[in-house]
Amino acid sequence: MDLVRHLECFVAVAEQSHFGRAAEHLGMAQPPLSQRIQRLERELGVRLFERTSRQVTITEAGTLLLAGARELLAGHEEFMATARRIRDGETGLLRAALSPDIADETVAAVLADFPRRQAGPELELHELSTAQQLARFASHDLDVGVIHHPCDVTGLELGPVLRRELGVLLPRGAAAAALDEVPLASLTEYDLILFPRSHAPALYDDLLTTCARNGYTPAAVRHGQGAGFVRGLILSAGAVAFGPYDAQPADVRDRDTENGSGVIWRPLAGAPLAWRHSVAWPKGRGDAAVSAFAAAATHALRTTAGARADAPQRPLHLRPASEYWL
Amino acid sequence: MTDTPARIHAAFAEAGVTGWLHALDIDSGAQIDAGADQPACTASVHKLCLLVALHELAAEGGLDLAEQIECPPAGRTAGPTGLAAMLDPVRMSLRDAGYLMMAVSDNAAADLLLRRVGLDAVNHAMNRLGLTRTHAVHTFGELFATIREDAGPGGARALTDPHVITRLRALDPARTNRSTPRDMTHLLGAVWRDEACTPEHGAAIRRVLGLQVWPHRMASGFPFDDVHVAGKTGSLPTLRNEVGVAEYPDGGRYAVAVFTRTANTAATLPAADAVIGTAARIAVDALRARQ
Repeated sequence: MDLVRHLECFVAVAEQSHFGRAAEHLGMAQPPLSQRIQRLERELGVRLFERTSRQVTITEAGTLLLAGARELLAGHEEFMATARRIRDGETGLLRAALSPDIADETVAAVLADFPRRQAGPELELHELSTAQQLARFASHDLDVGVIHHPCDVTGLELGPVLRRELGVLLPRGAAAAALDEVPLASLTEYDLILFPRSHAPALYDDLLTTCARNGYTPAAVRHGQGAGFVRGLILSAGAVAFGPYDAQPADVRDRDTENGSGVIWRPLAGAPLAWRHSVAWPKGRGDAAVSAFAAAATHALRTTAGARADAPQRPLHLRPASEYWL
Repeated sequence: MTDTPARIHAAFAEAGVTGWLHALDIDSGAQIDAGADQPACTASVHKLCLLVALHELAAEGGLDLAEQIECPPAGRTAGPTGLAAMLDPVRMSLRDAGYLMMAVSDNAAADLLLRRVGLDAVNHAMNRLGLTRTHAVHTFGELFATIREDAGPGGARALTDPHVITRLRALDPARTNRSTPRDMTHLLGAVWRDEACTPEHGAAIRRVLGLQVWPHRMASGFPFDDVHVAGKTGSLPTLRNEVGVAEYPDGGRYAVAVFTRTANTAATLPAADAVIGTAARIAVDALRARQ
């Protein structure tokens, strides 16, 4: 008897209190599910369910065995994941990811620095969004990555959160382009170009909330990501965009270049906006190679992207509906 | 019909949260499962379990709900509402403390009742009702103490740091008070069908659940004067829950349990509160379409 498969059936019927729904949940037909439960009951010598014509209820004995069944299933899953990990470890592979907005210089620094910190494992580096990285952590297809905050950090361990400050991209001829630092509130006449909200709803909302808090509520938000498309909108459509200094080409960074693209990057006054990154890996699955990647990526972000430690500066007023108080 | 869980998960993603929901037609037993068996931290939702245990004890003659309790200012569990926010000595009945615990999620009232009822009795009451995955390991004061300890010297402000969030024991269902969406709808179903307590006590529990003041979560999904919504919220940093019952004038009654975690660590996130109502409504509409 395949105990694991039978226990999956037992737990499903216990949770659904219904053979039909449990079978649907398991993606199997009802008759083989009933047979499995009967076989399990024979094997254990214990009656797990009381069946009437309409209802299935778990017996006292079934209740006593349910927690153990769940533990065995969780242990089985963990065991298989560990086996996969050992198998991949034997091939000497660390599967790591960087988000697409990380600049070329940073990527190169990580690739150069990692083997110096950890000889042995080969680094398989992918370009993946935060959402893609979280999905691959869950399916055990990724060991470590650099993610964007905010994101749901349940089940993760994190390295330090680093801030990559954002500046504004605007037409060279704009009045604000002459300022050393541009206050967000001075952008009110411009529309804002932002990535599509569905890519990262929490980050999108967080950026707009911070803009509003600092006096900039754009009349319209236009969606775009490609560098050429964004620059075109800035030059001809009365719009601005945000981006980190390290990701800009030289002619956009430099105020003194005359033959530039017509778009210029300026820092924002008070640095209210930032991409916030940290290295992340699934809780309990960190090892020497993961630590080496975390150290290499953190170091690369600090040295090549000017990323700094993120210290919450703003006061926090909890409202009564928060239900807790410290 | 089969795409209802997908619509619910899409609504959660759109609001920047990860969420799990179970909805139950209290009379037909029809269900919507969008992660119904996910272990989740209950936070103040566990006050519902405490209220049910209190009434079970009263029904057995173990205590008198009109019994007076003293609540001196010293040693009160902290909180922003009810007795927890008051400054002077208070004396009130057990059932009035129960009302404050449910209406405004009063942490001090909850711990006064817990001292009288006991954690073991709460767990025993849940086991007896067949809730195998619902368990309380600490009082509300102890729960907040773990957060203070894990947050470190930065205090409440440190709770917006994702790095701090990952190390809070209060957000790990294995180490704090916990349940599942399915267990919570099972409990609400039992309360509404008078299977958890006698009809007299069932009516008292339903009354205080209907007196909860918060309009921003489950109730926001049912903007209808003729629909009655009763429930209990639960909140911690990045965690927003509510379990409740929507009752329609045609007699339809639906228990819904929603547990969420926000991506953003900010404390004020109206969209994350509202999506609890949005998701509950999608589920209830789907259950009503089946009838």
